[in-house]
Amino acid sequence: MTPEEVLSRLEAPLSLRKRIAYLTVALAGLTASALIGLLWATEPDLPLRTEVAFAVLVTIGLCWAAFGGWAVTRRTPLFARDRVIAAWLGAGAWLTLTIGASAITILRHEFEPAVAGIVLTLGVLAAVNLRAARRARAALTRRKTELSPSAGER
Amino acid sequence: MSDELLVVRCQLGEREAFTELVQGWHPKVERYVGRMLGAPDDDVVQEIWLAVVKGLPRLRHPDRFAPWFFTVARRAVMNRLREAYTRPEPEPIDDVQGDDAAEGVVHRETLAVALAAIPAREREVLLLFYLEDLPLEACAQICAVPVGTVKSRLNRARRLLRQELVRKGYEA
Repeated sequence: MTPEEVLSRLEAPLSLRKRIAYLTVALAGLTASALIGLLWATEPDLPLRTEVAFAVLVTIGLCWAAFGGWAVTRRTPLFARDRVIAAWLGAGAWLTLTIGASAITILRHEFEPAVAGIVLTLGVLAAVNLRAARRARAALTRRKTELSPSAGER
Repeated sequence: MSDELLVVRCQLGEREAFTELVQGWHPKVERYVGRMLGAPDDDVVQEIWLAVVKGLPRLRHPDRFAPWFFTVARRAVMNRLREAYTRPEPEPIDDVQGDDAAEGVVHRETLAVALAAIPAREREVLLLFYLEDLPLEACAQICAVPVGTVKSRLNRARRLLRQELVRKGYEA
């Protein structure tokens, strides 16, 4: 087996496009499930058929989230650059959730402290995750600069 | 370019760095797998590379890439050699002195042929210590045993290698 053959067999875990696609799928599934769950939880007296439909949609969303999560942890690892992209995508997903939650709250003309708490907690998590990802990448970039042959000549 | 720089670039996600890493390390993987298993095995080599790529983001000390890499490779090889490992290990022989004369005389290629006849545990430490030039501490880390055990395995391995070479008609 040649190095080129090895690289072609590593195509899936090394493909940035695949990693981002799996991540997007996971976040989309999670966000959609959360929004549908929110709608379900805040809407009183829903017909049974609608509740079943919501349950099915939430399950589908969670399945996609689980699949995407499995893929990025087991099949296509996230490198420093991907982690920053992932963190930004997470922040985007949080923003989508916030807009959706706000819309639901405004339409119902009723403030839900629990919903606001969840949105705020997720926002903090997204911010912390983004900061950690950026710091990890910055540390590696600094190390790369220190180790680069040109750095030694200076 | 140093291995550490290459690993850091890989951890950042630079595609070209992976190409360089594979090109630089692939011959070592093939050699290790081939000598440990007695024959080339593409499946094990691929398994090792997959595990390396998946594990790289979690590697905290890029400067210690070589021991980590061989730990990953060893795991894959050991899975393949599990049957051989079911045999009870002989008692460690601590009082056997290293036979440096044999080391100096034997050509590397001759060594490779004779290695195949040595049990996996002993063959492994010889490969890591002499052929990959890893320090005793790194060998111990890779094999997940104390340094003393590596030393005793090296002693036993040298003795077995010498016996094997004598049996084949070489002067020790």
